[in-house]
Amino acid sequence: MPPMSETSTPQDLSFFYGFLARCMQYPDPQWMNEEFFQAFFSLVDTLGATVEGKEIRDALKHSPDPMEALQIEYTRLFINGAPHVVAPPYASVYMDKSLQGAFALKTLSFYREKGYVMEKDADLPDHLIHELEFLSLLARDNDLAGEEEFLTTLFRPWYQQFCPRVGQETRHPYYRMVVNLIDFFTSEEKKDGFQCNEA
Amino acid sequence: MAFNVTRRKFLQTASLAAVSIPLSKVVCAETGVTKASLEPKGTMHDTTVVGGLCEMCFWRCQMVGRVRDGQLIKLEGNPKSIDNGTSICARGNAGIKLLYDVDRLKYPLKNVGKRGEPVWKRISWQEALDECGSKLKAVVDQHGPQGICVFPHGASAKYPMHYFERTVGTHNVSEASFFQCRGVRDTAYMASINEAPEEFVDMANAKVIFLVGCHFGENIHVSHTKNYIKGLQNGAKLIVADPRYSASAAKSDIWVQIKPGTDTAYLLAIMNYLVKNKKYNQEFVTNHTAGFDKFSQSIAEWTLDKAAQECEIPAAQIKEVADLLAANAPNVTIHPGRFSSWHGNDFQRGRALACLTALLGAYYVKGGWLPPKRPKLNKTSWAAAEHGNEHNLNYSGDKMQHPYSPPGTPTELIRDCAISGKPYPIKGCVVWGQNPMQTIPNQEKMKQVFKAMDFVMCVDVMPTDVTMWADILLPEASYLERFDEIKVGAAYAKAGDTEPTQYIAPRYPMVEPQFERKDQVYITNEIAKRMGHEQDIPVQTLEELVNKTLEVSKTTLASIKAEGGIHLQPGKPAGTVPEDFMVLLFSDEIAAAGFPGAPTYIPVENVPAGHARLLFGRAPVHSFSRTQNNIWLHHAMPVNPVWLNDEVAAKLGLKEGDTVGLVNSEGVKSRTTTIVKVTPGIRKDCVYMYHGYGMVNPMLTIGSGQGVDEQSLITKIAIDPESGVHGMRNNFVKLTRDGKTLDMPA
Repeated sequence: MPPMSETSTPQDLSFFYGFLARCMQYPDPQWMNEEFFQAFFSLVDTLGATVEGKEIRDALKHSPDPMEALQIEYTRLFINGAPHVVAPPYASVYMDKSLQGAFALKTLSFYREKGYVMEKDADLPDHLIHELEFLSLLARDNDLAGEEEFLTTLFRPWYQQFCPRVGQETRHPYYRMVVNLIDFFTSEEKKDGFQCNEA
Repeated sequence: MAFNVTRRKFLQTASLAAVSIPLSKVVCAETGVTKASLEPKGTMHDTTVVGGLCEMCFWRCQMVGRVRDGQLIKLEGNPKSIDNGTSICARGNAGIKLLYDVDRLKYPLKNVGKRGEPVWKRISWQEALDECGSKLKAVVDQHGPQGICVFPHGASAKYPMHYFERTVGTHNVSEASFFQCRGVRDTAYMASINEAPEEFVDMANAKVIFLVGCHFGENIHVSHTKNYIKGLQNGAKLIVADPRYSASAAKSDIWVQIKPGTDTAYLLAIMNYLVKNKKYNQEFVTNHTAGFDKFSQSIAEWTLDKAAQECEIPAAQIKEVADLLAANAPNVTIHPGRFSSWHGNDFQRGRALACLTALLGAYYVKGGWLPPKRPKLNKTSWAAAEHGNEHNLNYSGDKMQHPYSPPGTPTELIRDCAISGKPYPIKGCVVWGQNPMQTIPNQEKMKQVFKAMDFVMCVDVMPTDVTMWADILLPEASYLERFDEIKVGAAYAKAGDTEPTQYIAPRYPMVEPQFERKDQVYITNEIAKRMGHEQDIPVQTLEELVNKTLEVSKTTLASIKAEGGIHLQPGKPAGTVPEDFMVLLFSDEIAAAGFPGAPTYIPVENVPAGHARLLFGRAPVHSFSRTQNNIWLHHAMPVNPVWLNDEVAAKLGLKEGDTVGLVNSEGVKSRTTTIVKVTPGIRKDCVYMYHGYGMVNPMLTIGSGQGVDEQSLITKIAIDPESGVHGMRNNFVKLTRDGKTLDMPA
């Protein structure tokens, strides 16, 4: 994990992780509104992904019900899809071939060591959203070592299996962009050999 | 995807704040991860949770669960259990893998595609319940309560089934456990001894155990299997009538390799021999049976030789079995069986088993049929109500088509009505825990039923094949995540006990339900409110339902939990034959209804040339289609080989492990292939497979397409005339290989 620069602040990075967690929530007009998409496209444009950004704008513009299209795709990709769920967003599925396996317990244990627990109504601890939320909290705490350890030992090992599945199989460019943004913000640089978003 | 900057460079840009500020405004303020006090590394939070009641099959073994950090990590038999003890079977152990199956249903889903080709969208419970309630109410408003049909199965389906049957008022309820499984056994015994037999046989103390088709060892229910093994250890002789060298046949003293469908002829010949040679229990027959003379006359034609010819077994062996039973009577187990929807002549076989038990005097004796005296419980559910028989499909005027039907309406009557719209339309369908695509024969007909509906809702834990036909699909809490039914029984708590001990074991959740899974009381009540029945709701929660059911026993969920999840109390000896206990060897009532008054053999269709009869049964590590997606069980038995006689295999040029498909006599081909198991242990005119494999739904990422769905080949429908129950072993198949169909040699 690279050290934070003089220009970025822990708070900035915390926002990025938090925003990515938001992007992975089930689409709902309550939060997936004009303000959200403005922020989303602002980030996409800043990163120079103009072609992909246009593809997403077009998909949203030309869909008769863009919200339902995203909901259907979210369900298919991450919940219960036909013919089958594409990419369950849980680490244990990739590391233990099961929901809530030993890897989920390891993840929860790591949260605890850093002074965090799961809310009662939360999803499983190894859900992508909660892992991004946790990274956001670590960034806010300026715990760079913890962030690096978590990314290396508990996040990247499964995310690098998850990301291409979504990227290759999604039928909506929004989710291709979201998983690539997550990949971008959680990948080590080239020297580590597994950043799939080569700039 | 190309971003024109590296992460490092991006985080170093001066304009970073300009990007992050808009993001910060849309970030969710609440997170699932929250600050707490620090804990040392290695803290496990291990606990043992008592009160588990297994439902990987119907037997309900009592369990405890080891829970770590809210995660169930191991299931074991409850040490306090006097039923299964500390043992649970492979399926019981693998319950964890059902609980955490990735493919499990998690949220309410709406099908925005077509029935059978679903496109799912997650919706809120509010929306799902509103849709279920309004659509079902619309059906009732337009077509009456009879416009709804219900296909329930399992412990959680009882409460909603009672709602639709009693409160809404439809007769059109069909439970697979009755109409495609044990119902005909129960009604045959009800008509003979006025009680359903369950599996109340004292095999542990039997001198002879007689199994007709039962295949213990492949069919495993822990305390029952223990009882059976104890009997064998104690020296019981074992007789097994089965066309296949089953796990039980492998332990038998006498294996009767009977021709399928002829079991009743076999039983009649045994009984006729006992009667003719006065080897029956004359005291029992005098005091506790009716119609002996008419019965004797009726079965008189069944000589040993005639049965030998019909059943294709040696006459001497029939005599040997009859003599062995007579010599050891009354301490003999005539097992009533369980799955009994075989050939559409099964009521008569059930009657014959009940009557044979009577001739041997094997009721209420050690080693015989010996029902335990179980603790009593309340019956808490929706209030019973009379809805008349005007819309009961089993009635033609005052006459019943199938007077010995199990509770509910025979499935075929419901399906015919739904498809034809006659005598009335059925337009709403509720499927709760049942998978009619793999329990009910003729899948194409089942599809037509779903296509005829205005609305279909399914409630399940897994995306089984039937869920592809739902408009709304609701995720249910599994048996490990909810309170639920109560198992009661009586057993000898330890060796040497002279009095039995009674037990009461309610189901407690081992862990909290995950995601948005709900229990049956919540779902049913919410639908009932939307259908205008709020005032009829009997309980508000599942916990309340169980506590009310326990009231008469003067126990509560809290008190039993404090006792380790099982309440034990002194029992009562099983006792001797009740004075008023009667076995109707000949039943005037059955005769008056237009059926044979004494057990009668009804021949079934012979195997057509070039074919083999398709037989199926239970696998030891699966509960049919319900466990096919369980990763541990899948690894144990991933496919269902087709058993093929070794001589037949040689003529067909097939060897062990060859890949084959199947095609039935009506031209229906298996969707998938399986492997051949070559064995001398099956008749030449039969093939055999384990049931429940080859599921269609690709949402089952482990079980889908594994092995062959033999149910897809059961397209010829046989109906038992007395009960209306399906017979499912009257279908004939050929094997296919490399695109060629192989004629089975004569």
